[in-house]
Amino acid sequence: MKKKNLVCIVCPNGCDAEVLMEDGSEIKILSIDGCTCDKGKEWVEQELTHPMRTIASGIPVEQGDFKLVSVRTDAPIPLGKIFDVMTVIKRRRVKAPVNIGDILVPNPAGTACNIIATRNVKFTE
Amino acid sequence: MENQYDVIVIGAGVVGNAIARELSKTCVSIAVIEKELDVSMGTSSRNSGVIHSGIHYKPGTLRATLNVLGNSLMADLCQDLKVKIDYIGKLTVAQDEEEVKSLYMLKDQGETNGVPGLAILDPDAMGKIQPNVGGIKALHSPSTGIICPYSFTIALAENAHANGCRFYLGHEVTSIQKKDGRFEIEAGGKKLTSRILINSAGLYSAEICRMLGINEYTIYPCRGEYLILDKRLKGALNLLVYPAPHVGKAGLGIHLTNTVSGNILIGPSNEYRQDPEDYACTADIMARLRKEGHILLPELKTTDFIRSFSGLRPKQTPPEIGGFKDFVIESREDVKGFINLVGIESPGLTSSPAIALMIRDMVEKLLPLTPKTDFNGRRSGMAGHFHELSDEEKADLVAQNPDYGEVVCRCEQITKKEVLDAIENPLGVRTINSIKYRSRAMMGRCQGGFCLPRIVQILEKEFGYRPEDYLLKNRTSPLFFGKMRQDIK
Amino acid sequence: MQTIKRDLVIIGGGPAGLAAAVSARKSGLDDILLIERDRILGGILNQCIHDGFGLHTFKEALTGPEYAQRFINEFQSLGIEAMLETIVLSLDKDRALTVSSKKGFLKIQAGAVILAMGCRERTAGAISLPGTRPSGVYTAGAAQNFVNLQNIMIGKHIVILGSGDIGLIMARRMTLEGAKVEAVFELLPTPSGLARNVQQCLNDYNIPLFLSTSVFELHGKDRLTGVTVATVDERFQMIPETRRFVPCDTLLLSVGLIPENELSLNAGVRLEPATSGASVDDQFMTSSPGIFSCGNVLHVHDLVDHVSEEAALVGRSVVDFLSGRTLSTLPARIPMVTGKDVRYVLPQNISGKEDVTLSLRVTRPMRNASVLVTDRGRKVARKKLIRLHPAEMIRIKVKAKDIETAEKLEVSVQ
Repeated sequence: MKKKNLVCIVCPNGCDAEVLMEDGSEIKILSIDGCTCDKGKEWVEQELTHPMRTIASGIPVEQGDFKLVSVRTDAPIPLGKIFDVMTVIKRRRVKAPVNIGDILVPNPAGTACNIIATRNVKFTE
Repeated sequence: MENQYDVIVIGAGVVGNAIARELSKTCVSIAVIEKELDVSMGTSSRNSGVIHSGIHYKPGTLRATLNVLGNSLMADLCQDLKVKIDYIGKLTVAQDEEEVKSLYMLKDQGETNGVPGLAILDPDAMGKIQPNVGGIKALHSPSTGIICPYSFTIALAENAHANGCRFYLGHEVTSIQKKDGRFEIEAGGKKLTSRILINSAGLYSAEICRMLGINEYTIYPCRGEYLILDKRLKGALNLLVYPAPHVGKAGLGIHLTNTVSGNILIGPSNEYRQDPEDYACTADIMARLRKEGHILLPELKTTDFIRSFSGLRPKQTPPEIGGFKDFVIESREDVKGFINLVGIESPGLTSSPAIALMIRDMVEKLLPLTPKTDFNGRRSGMAGHFHELSDEEKADLVAQNPDYGEVVCRCEQITKKEVLDAIENPLGVRTINSIKYRSRAMMGRCQGGFCLPRIVQILEKEFGYRPEDYLLKNRTSPLFFGKMRQDIK
Repeated sequence: MQTIKRDLVIIGGGPAGLAAAVSARKSGLDDILLIERDRILGGILNQCIHDGFGLHTFKEALTGPEYAQRFINEFQSLGIEAMLETIVLSLDKDRALTVSSKKGFLKIQAGAVILAMGCRERTAGAISLPGTRPSGVYTAGAAQNFVNLQNIMIGKHIVILGSGDIGLIMARRMTLEGAKVEAVFELLPTPSGLARNVQQCLNDYNIPLFLSTSVFELHGKDRLTGVTVATVDERFQMIPETRRFVPCDTLLLSVGLIPENELSLNAGVRLEPATSGASVDDQFMTSSPGIFSCGNVLHVHDLVDHVSEEAALVGRSVVDFLSGRTLSTLPARIPMVTGKDVRYVLPQNISGKEDVTLSLRVTRPMRNASVLVTDRGRKVARKKLIRLHPAEMIRIKVKAKDIETAEKLEVSVQ
């Protein structure tokens, strides 16, 4: 049996989870302690098998009232894919106007998420 | 002719600029050469900003004579230049009978020097001027004043510039030759020549001398550190309060100094350094200044410290000797046409207008000076800042120019118009520090946290700046490393 | 000079100001003016492009701009008046304001004022950071503005001093943009930011966090060339033999936030040393009648959701005040005091006639402890917590029926 400690990132409470797992290379969870909600427990299970994250960044906008439109992934992506997704984001340029929720890149780097706008950017001359 | 002048001044500090302005009243052609990108980047901006009365200097010395004369010239000069000056006076406080003796000595000395209005006060009278001041007796010198040293230096330079003086900023002097009665100066890749050369290079004055084979001077930089306090404490001090001098100490002791902008300074310390540009602040001295500050100002809170800075005095005496040597101001016989200023430390700021007159006389002995008929010694604009005006005056100005209505720096309440004026300064300097020193934006308690991003935006939108164009103070102090996302076609 | 009158003037159009305005309008107040110095509403949220906002309020993880936009939409759909690019120059205790904008100067007489100016960052000067004064030293929030709003790369090799949330968020942000974040140094023995941010902003990217370690000298005359760091002992004194040089071109400071109360002071508002914000009653009214305070200008929050909630309460309180109900029926007669392990508690005085939610912070990290509210030894409320941390604000509800006769309430950790 082995023990692993994790800090839950689901919400700002940041619960300290203590997980007991079977020995061996395959991940078999025996118990999860310290989580104060079910979402947290789900997250811990996922974190041990295939950790997922959301990321936020910015994309330059032409003729916008902001230089950058802020963006985020609309669903978590695999932790190991973050820099691949960033590469896609860094290449993208958009034209104003942009609205919150607009999909600016669908399925970046083959992930099951979209890069969506998180700011309204108006067109300016 | 391009790059050929009657007079060249090396060093754009307060003394160099005062000389340049004085000479710009005459028909000679003048240039000022400065290695930094702006004027007032050395000792001139890094001091207490006190206009001394002249009690501290031995009668008959240049320091005594020039200080007292300089002090008396300041009021009119500041009025012409639109620079705020406040003759708030000073108390030099004695804690024991031994120190009382030194007060009487200072009073005699000051009176011999011609300092007006000196009086020894008892605690009652002291308390009326400044409540809660300790000590058993004090010397009151009403002619002591305060000024913003860089505002004054910039004003001198801008007015000299307006009257035809040329400024070579960012031009470091690398060699000087004397050929056929003219000085050939290489500076920043340019070759300039002049009939008269004035060395006003402050901390580097001995080095300039050596370029001409004059090896008798050495400068020992002596650092003074200061802490700047929040304006919240404005009013805690009605006038300057100094401790009475102690025997064998070079500086004037750590004390509180009001500034014309309303901040109080604690300092300076006194420490010899090798490097003439070692403007670091140290943990030990800052801790000492904080401690002294809490003693001198009981209402001081830890959040009241908003910044620290240090300056270097160009001393002529090594640490093992200490004390003061008189200013060297000479027209060299061995190098004809070379006017040399060495060791202009305190009271250099106060003395600067008087030094300028003295230099003018020296120049006149070498070169006929005819007065310029169209000299204009007055600067336009206002002394002080928009926020100091009455509501009615402010409303009028905003109606004339909406940029006065937009406050860019909220801590110091500096408007966009004032920032634009600073950006478009006559000398064409465009560093972040040059905007700061001219407008006071970024000098408040948030230290630019709020307004630097806004000033960066103004420079981009209205002056076409790219991220790599922003410099803090010189070419090797970039603010940024380009765009985060490059443009793609 | 022109003078106008408004029932309510709100200073600041960030999350606190917006939520207060929306709530006051929904409580029936028509004559509301919100004053914002920026060209847009939303305040600091505009540059906080990371997610994690709104989990309480909207039950989803939004970014700062999205969270702000929801309130802006509501604010605008309610037709509330806002003056943008306008700065309040002065406020007095009789609620007379002077404001300035490109359009000119204006005096405003307000029936009530809500202070919602937010906070500012502590600077290198404020912590007397020794060494040179090169370029490349930024507060984390200013850096965030340059990167997220102005598309500017502030540095390539970055050291972060202070483990406040903005510093942690910026560590990740700069890493994603290709900078190398060398390390985060924290003077205290525990991180100042939220645990989840230590995990997802530092651990995920192998950015080391050194606790009980601080920066003791800046190097470089022009651009920053590095910092000297060292470990400190339990009295925060540097241990000289641990000094080491860390090369870097940029230092970001995340060493604390200070409520921006300069206007409040001129209005005679009494400040609390523990929060640097106003002392308020359970209506969030300050010591100057008719002047209220909420959000980060009152006390620095760690969650915007709590700011919105607090501001909504203030919006309702103001309507009560303007209708004359507050002062007569709700005198704040019960002082709140801090007991063991509690750094501050807010509000500082309560009426005892309404339920109240107390906000507090503890002085040190603790586990499995209870926050206890007592009246002369009698237990009034208690909240059990698995973990208590100074970085995390704790809220506890107290019921009116339990404190009707209270004389003084003490909040402590047991």
